[in-house]
Amino acid sequence: MGVAPLLRKVFMVDLLKGLSVTFRYQHPSQVCTEQYPLERPQIAERYRGLPRLNVNPETGETLCIACNLCASACPEHLIVVESERNPVTKRKEMKRFTLDVSRCMFCGLCEEACSTDCLELSQDYELAQYSRDGLIFDRARLESGPENTVYSR
Amino acid sequence: MLEYITNYLNSNLTPGQAGNIFWAVVYILLIFAGVSAAVILMNWGERKALAHMQVRLGPMRVGPHGLLQPFADALKLLLKEDIAPSEADKMVFWVAPLIVVVTAFTTFIVVPFGQTHAVTDMNIGILFMLGVSSLGVLGIVTAGWASNSHFPLMGGLRSSAQMVSYEIAMGLAVISAVLMTSFSGVGPFGVGGEGTGSGTLSMIGIVQAQQAQHVWFVFKLFPLGLIAFGIFAIAMVAETNRAPFDLPEAESELVAGFHTEYSGFRWSLFFLAEYAAMVAVSSIAVTLWLGGWLRPFTYWLSGSGWDTAFSLFPGLTFLVLAGFTFFNTVRMPKHPALKIQTVGLGVFGAILGVVGLLLFVPGVRERIQDIYWFSIKVAVFMYLYIWYRGTFPRYRFDQLMKLGWKVLLPVGFGVLIATGLIGLSDQLLEWVKGVMHWA
Repeated sequence: MGVAPLLRKVFMVDLLKGLSVTFRYQHPSQVCTEQYPLERPQIAERYRGLPRLNVNPETGETLCIACNLCASACPEHLIVVESERNPVTKRKEMKRFTLDVSRCMFCGLCEEACSTDCLELSQDYELAQYSRDGLIFDRARLESGPENTVYSR
Repeated sequence: MLEYITNYLNSNLTPGQAGNIFWAVVYILLIFAGVSAAVILMNWGERKALAHMQVRLGPMRVGPHGLLQPFADALKLLLKEDIAPSEADKMVFWVAPLIVVVTAFTTFIVVPFGQTHAVTDMNIGILFMLGVSSLGVLGIVTAGWASNSHFPLMGGLRSSAQMVSYEIAMGLAVISAVLMTSFSGVGPFGVGGEGTGSGTLSMIGIVQAQQAQHVWFVFKLFPLGLIAFGIFAIAMVAETNRAPFDLPEAESELVAGFHTEYSGFRWSLFFLAEYAAMVAVSSIAVTLWLGGWLRPFTYWLSGSGWDTAFSLFPGLTFLVLAGFTFFNTVRMPKHPALKIQTVGLGVFGAILGVVGLLLFVPGVRERIQDIYWFSIKVAVFMYLYIWYRGTFPRYRFDQLMKLGWKVLLPVGFGVLIATGLIGLSDQLLEWVKGVMHWA
């Protein structure tokens, strides 16, 4: 062993270096922990969360034209669209829309297939439910967006 | 009867020396309560400080900043089922935690928190402390053996092997400090002088020797005192089975080591004993090398002005803590769920502030300051324990043995011999002169 490494060992230079690192990390600004229900994380813009059915913001009518493209694009066949032709306007109108999130892998193919930008993957990530049936979301839930539980004491 | 109680207050002795049983019992109860409070505080402090070193937050939910977490834990442990393995040696299994706790708390009998603030002043104080605190290892070995399970047995074996590697170096370091009490010279390098030094094993005597020599023994015969202190500081971490020498309970290797099979209250006894032992061993180090209850610079900054200035420290410490608490109360996130916690933290800060103000009262100030200086020095050691745990990875067993036998032991012998030779330097010179003359 050379003189320099020996001196390093005797004066415990490496140990002291380690101690200084842990000491500096104690500053509160270094803390990485997020206190989840109180502080919500910033979700990335392109995060793929729960699908959402967009509505026309002015009229509040759905943008869906019941073309069934999303249902055929879904690799897991999770989307069911039921439609009816309106006798007055002669247009197909969406009656029921269900999406089984329990097997959804958030691939975004339905979003890409949608021709009216109605179906869109949102940034909602809180999908826990009390039952499996609760994960089959209907039109109302998909249009209203996330209903986060507000925790109070 | 009343006279028996009040007479002691006028004497300037420890209850043990005065032979006053009443005050001895009061002191023992106070120390028991104080050490238990220190363990509670240490439990919270360790979890918080360690968490911050690992860039986590630590306990945050039970009480403001997790201040009530130790109480919640204690409640949980008391309510847990007390399980003993069916194949265990029941009797020994029950006795083991008792041995550990009793030895950890018995050592406090001789710890001098102040000149008169000790239960008793034994003339073999340091020997008693080392002996009793080493007995704690017996409890750990019995726990490991009685559990009748692989991991505890390995933990117990490791504990005993660790003890033989460290106790000797520790003892040598202690002896070199005890040797220093027999010097009568003043200052860091004074050894000879008129008359002989006291040369004592009594804990109070050792601190008084440092007072008489106007120097803490860390700085005596620099760097000999510092090296001996360093040896003790390493050995005491191994003695209390703390990281980086926590081989007997190595979580990643032995589940929980010697207390794997213990649960509930018995486990909490091991926990209590471990922390009490940490405080006890730190107070040995403080007494032997860091001047015990003496305030810093007793000699350089002497005089009544400086005395008053230093006696303000206890109150100031509490006021700083209170200010820190209030700062955090303001910083608390404004959320309805945290309202109660914010108020609680504010009340806690107010209590700290009131205690701080109480400590400025002259009568209290005079009484409390030796206890304060002792506790603050021990608290620094407690922080060091946490800091080591947050920094160093665990030593492998052969590395630990190598450090104990090949480094600490020879260095300890060297320091002891050098201290002795320098202490006797005057006589040695005389002797050499005599030999030369005769030749």
